[in-house]
Amino acid sequence: MDQQFIPRGLQRTSFERFLVWVLPWVLMLGIGLYAIYQCLADGLYHTNMDNRFAFGLWIYLDLTVIALGAGAFFTGFLLYILRRDELKAVINSAVVLGLICYSGAVAVLMVDVGQPLRAWFTFWHPNTHSMLTEVTFCLTCYLTVLVIEYLPVILKNRKLRQIPRFLVFEFELHKVMPVFAGVGTFLSFFHQGSLGGLYGVLVGRPFAFREVLGIWPSTFYLFILSAAAAGPSFVLVTTWLVQKISRKRLVQPGVFTYLGKVSGSMLMVYVLLKAVDTLYWINHTAPLEGAAAYAFYTSQSFGSWILFTEIVLLGLVPAVVLLTKRLREIPAVLVSAAFLTCCGIMLNRFVMTIQTLALPTLPFDLLMSYFPSWQEVATFLAVVAYGVILYSLSFRYMTLFPQERDIRQ
Amino acid sequence: MFPFIYEFRWTPAHLIFLGLFFSVVVVIASTVGVALLRMLKAFRTQKVEAIQWEAEFEDLPVAARVCRHQLAGEVAQRTCHHDFDCRSCEMHPTFLAKYAPALAPAAVTEALYGFSMPLDRYYHRGHTWVKPEGNGIYTIGLDDFGAQMVGAPDRIVLPPVGTTLTANGTGWKVAKERATLRVLAPIDGVVVETGTREQGWYLKVRGSEQERDLRHLLRGSEVKPWVMRELERLQIALSPAGVGTSLADGGELMPEMWKQAPQKDWDGVWGEMFLQA
Repeated sequence: MDQQFIPRGLQRTSFERFLVWVLPWVLMLGIGLYAIYQCLADGLYHTNMDNRFAFGLWIYLDLTVIALGAGAFFTGFLLYILRRDELKAVINSAVVLGLICYSGAVAVLMVDVGQPLRAWFTFWHPNTHSMLTEVTFCLTCYLTVLVIEYLPVILKNRKLRQIPRFLVFEFELHKVMPVFAGVGTFLSFFHQGSLGGLYGVLVGRPFAFREVLGIWPSTFYLFILSAAAAGPSFVLVTTWLVQKISRKRLVQPGVFTYLGKVSGSMLMVYVLLKAVDTLYWINHTAPLEGAAAYAFYTSQSFGSWILFTEIVLLGLVPAVVLLTKRLREIPAVLVSAAFLTCCGIMLNRFVMTIQTLALPTLPFDLLMSYFPSWQEVATFLAVVAYGVILYSLSFRYMTLFPQERDIRQ
Repeated sequence: MFPFIYEFRWTPAHLIFLGLFFSVVVVIASTVGVALLRMLKAFRTQKVEAIQWEAEFEDLPVAARVCRHQLAGEVAQRTCHHDFDCRSCEMHPTFLAKYAPALAPAAVTEALYGFSMPLDRYYHRGHTWVKPEGNGIYTIGLDDFGAQMVGAPDRIVLPPVGTTLTANGTGWKVAKERATLRVLAPIDGVVVETGTREQGWYLKVRGSEQERDLRHLLRGSEVKPWVMRELERLQIALSPAGVGTSLADGGELMPEMWKQAPQKDWDGVWGEMFLQA
């Protein structure tokens, strides 16, 4: 039925089966849109957040998807700036993933902040002393860059490329792509960093507060490094997942191992610096704030196991695996290590949002608890559904993996 | 954001922040602008056909971009990076110095797997042939492989007399079922006469000076290995998902072969064989 829109030389499932696959996600998206409508129309009382627990599931989602979406900028940086041509095999997929992550994050941020019709106030009256203003500016600009980077992928569609203007524009756009890769890297450096930089001003939260190193707090650098480590791993895991679901080989095995190696190198640097940062925080920053670091790990929910899991099990272990050639060449081990890397970054963002707010800050405070409302969960799932739908459509009608055709032949 | 807006501050932090933001916006906008201007320039200078081929060639699978010298067995593995234009290839003269295939005398025809491929003419990788007629006139037709793949076309759209053709640009178009195929022009030149399928040729062109040598076209002993490779590519294009090459070896193409598998994406198969990505 839609065969004429599927790229030449690629084989995709029947249109009917594709509809069956997409339908549940559309349903999930629909429920999420209803929840979003409730929050925007009636206000945030539909959520279980309040003035004291203001970082909920949505901010966690924002920080996580922005870190995982870093695969787009980092892959682009390696391919267009450092000329690592082997990454041509996954760049289109990385761009789609980045676009999904960033557009999803911006959409949820709109709901979280509320009053989306006044979003332009942020730009018109910027508070240049706020890290979040920088994040907003960078996110908006980078999302624009991602849309521009996604354009050639769309314009290469079998039917669209028959229109000469589209074909030539795509060709010319492709030539200037290194400029966008450079701008994307610059913007990503600042917004990933600024999200971490926030902890330099959280003086009232000694669990998360970090001292300034140079002109930014240590978390500024750690957020950049962790995103650069998680991005390639996320691209690796999604590519493997798409291979399994579509039952097709999409890239050469060398691409997987290269992504693993890059991710492992960045992760190792991150884990080492994170360990140093944690030790410094335990011995210097926390006492300076009048708090004993061990006191933050006495509750049952957030014991020291969480720190061990984050740094060792989901940090050091996958880093060692990804950096060991022999282990990296075993597909199951490679994918598992990449998956653990993604989980490690997800746990880190959980610690920096939910755990940070849950922990007591004053002697008479109790551990706060928070459980998201169904509207929060539905909005979260809507972003997941939106991502699956957009990726599925892109995979079906565009060439996300240029090597797929060669592998088939 | 601007000095005339409430709360704008002439402070270094404010100026640096906004300065960086505006620089990024200007870079993004001007880069897109440059791409748009280049696109308009390409249309103005009539380079669209050349760009179209360059873009198509880049997206062709490696199997379709194999160098003619690999097909002829002169080198183990070599992929073409010159858009099938051997005139710009720095290695082509080196290969020719070792062995230079030549045209056969008239009426020598190679019968290959049911295809009639006369060796008194040149062949383009997009399944057209070129025959020099003298006085700078060249006759162009669809080769037997291409003709058998498509069968009887529903409609053929030929360029009018006087049209300037670009090598690897659109030669003519063939409509078949719901597909429209772009047959690539094998040489540069100006159309001086148009033919029909029944006449066995489609165009007569006056070649440009550059066409006095037709180094980029296949000839003589190069034709057989190329046809063999094309058969392989056709088998793969026709194979069902997950099965791989499955057409019986040694057989010949059936007339109007698309009727044997009408559910197949024939636009895709033909496009693949006529070098469209």
